[in-house]
Amino acid sequence: MLFIKCPYCGDRSQNEFAYGGDATVKRPEINKEVSDKDWDNFVYLRKSPRGKHLEFWHHVSGCRQWFKIQRDTSTHEIFKTFKVTEEI
Amino acid sequence: MTNSSALEKVHKKGLFGDYENKNEDKLIKISEEKDFLILQIAQYKNSLISVHNIKVDGLVFNNESLKVACNNDTRILWVGPKNWLLISRKKDLLKNIFESLKETDFAITDLSHSRAIIELEGENSKEILKKGCPFNFDELKKDSCLNSVFHGISITIDMINDNPNKIRLFALRSFGESLYDSITDSCLEYGYKNL
Repeated sequence: MLFIKCPYCGDRSQNEFAYGGDATVKRPEINKEVSDKDWDNFVYLRKSPRGKHLEFWHHVSGCRQWFKIQRDTSTHEIFKTFKVTEEI
Repeated sequence: MTNSSALEKVHKKGLFGDYENKNEDKLIKISEEKDFLILQIAQYKNSLISVHNIKVDGLVFNNESLKVACNNDTRILWVGPKNWLLISRKKDLLKNIFESLKETDFAITDLSHSRAIIELEGENSKEILKKGCPFNFDELKKDSCLNSVFHGISITIDMINDNPNKIRLFALRSFGESLYDSITDSCLEYGYKNL
């Protein structure tokens, strides 16, 4: 069983969580002119790194909070979990 | 008009499973709990009010994760940051809550009729939950609570007592019968008594 440490609830089983996407993607500034290419990159373009990756996860069957995980995509090792408002 | 409870069609009184030649007092007891006031209370993210100054039925809202503030009639479960589930036998508490919690700071939703509630009592209650829920129940102490899953059904677990173990499970009403079937199937090997 894989455990993920929720920043609010503590260690919980991975099947209480849902993956929420790449946490490194920054949304273009609101009300700023954005080219079609930049918008396309923001919506669709994702890296698929092998190794450390920053991800959003949702504790969907627990406290229902979003948070960030730094995880190794090849070994599934979780290095750190932190709240959405926190930075590494 | 009469209200029908969530498990009315499936919960039958009696002894079931492997109960023969066992002390009836030691069997797991299963009951359906009903007629509660259940409120979901969420504090808005931009609200700056300290919840420690607010009392409902003499209880202070707890910001500590997985903890329950309780008295004989009312339990306030922490279910997430700035999120609580209030369970009370006092139906008239609603008026008091609307006076204490301003609508500019809190969203209050009445869930009284939208939950199925199963209560397990007995020393093997935690063993039943371990069969379908990944949480480490050895860590679960009296007056603590959590949200988790039981065989894929989202549930809220409230540990009411630990001597003997008394655990209350809340599920969405529409999942109530499925949860009830899963729980009673898990109880078969120990034998159980429906109250």
